[in-house]
Amino acid sequence: MKSGRWITQTESSTYLNEAMAIWLRDLRSEFRTRYAINAILMFAVTTLVAVSFSIGAFRIGEAEKPFLYAVLLWIILVFSALSGLSRSFVKEEEAGTMDVLRLSARPQAVFLGKLFFNLTLLGALELIIVPSFILFMEYEIEFPGFFAAMTISAGLGLGAGTTIVAAMIAQASARGALFSALSFPLLFPLMITAIKGCERAAAGMDSAGWPEVRIAVAYVIIMIIMSLFLFPLIWEE
Amino acid sequence: MTAKVLLAIWMAIIIAAAFLYTEAASGFPGETSRILFFHVPQAWVATLAFLLSMIASAVYLAKRRVTADDLALSAAELGFLFCVLATVTGSIFAKATWGSFWNWDPRETSIVILLMIYGAYFALRSAVPDPEKKRVFAGVYAILAFITVPFLVFVVPRITASLHPEDTMNPANPGMDPKTLKVFLGSLFAYTALFVWMLRLRMRILRLEEMREEERRRQI
Repeated sequence: MKSGRWITQTESSTYLNEAMAIWLRDLRSEFRTRYAINAILMFAVTTLVAVSFSIGAFRIGEAEKPFLYAVLLWIILVFSALSGLSRSFVKEEEAGTMDVLRLSARPQAVFLGKLFFNLTLLGALELIIVPSFILFMEYEIEFPGFFAAMTISAGLGLGAGTTIVAAMIAQASARGALFSALSFPLLFPLMITAIKGCERAAAGMDSAGWPEVRIAVAYVIIMIIMSLFLFPLIWEE
Repeated sequence: MTAKVLLAIWMAIIIAAAFLYTEAASGFPGETSRILFFHVPQAWVATLAFLLSMIASAVYLAKRRVTADDLALSAAELGFLFCVLATVTGSIFAKATWGSFWNWDPRETSIVILLMIYGAYFALRSAVPDPEKKRVFAGVYAILAFITVPFLVFVVPRITASLHPEDTMNPANPGMDPKTLKVFLGSLFAYTALFVWMLRLRMRILRLEEMREEERRRQI
């Protein structure tokens, strides 16, 4: 295993060091195959094209736009994420590198490394899909700052909520369908929050204190802390 | 055995009393208020079962006793069953009083999420072949799902403005007339006893299945 030199567990290595090593290793292997990013992006682009083609920029009335567009945007983002995020752990299982990973890093570091990798994928997804959606659909946004904060925080939430599920389903059978089925109930509150936040930002409704962003940030923090507690249980079997 | 027979007789008395002994509450169209004697105990048992399942999952993760996981699974299954019953009866009541079977009232939203969570829980259990792993994963998922539920309180719109009858049907409320209260409490007891009986039955089945599995493994 060539990438093994990236992961070394020594006295001086910290959780963050190990996590960064795993993240970098995953990024390198992703750059070689581009499997996960291709799957997610193609899914997202296809859905965006389908939505844009069938609805277009002028079909929905101005008054309805902020809400309905927020719904469409988040359906595209959430289901694209669900189509590919499980790759981070499934690929280890398929390549038979799970046990090496277990030996070379502490479980919390593995979780963090995989979380960073998933967040990188989500960042790329949002960076491409959100501006394209705004352009294609003529989505006018009153509060761009709020909108951006909402998209970013909910994107972090997508990663925080699904990474531990990916670790579980990688060790199960019927992986693809199971990942969406397990993740969706966990993501449902986040998705509703993101839709409400984006609607408010687009419509220019009263948004003092960015309440939806705060809910999303709380979700991210709680999910990451709980995952750090629970991950060792499902990892060290 | 006697407990089973007594429970059957008690249940029959409650059903008869719900229709014959009590009077329909005013303020609800026709006889619809009688759903109280069935819908509310079902929802109560579902809540009790899911709570029990959650606690048993946490106990399993801490102690790794198979009995705790058996309890978690049995309670989740029964909770799911009673949750479906409560949804169906509630939906019928909604049609009769609010005019539609389904309108994403906060109560309806939260119950759908619950059903989705436990649907996923059963899917996860059936997809992990290794029994030990299956139990750990199920426990972890149950806890993860449980901590996302409070977020629904913030995000489900109009959570405070539900059409769901509350005060009129609260047993602590003096508004419930004595006859209704008697039958209602009797029904709560009947449903809880039914749940306990079914739970013990399910756990016995699970234990027998595990014993048979062990036997088979020993023969190999």
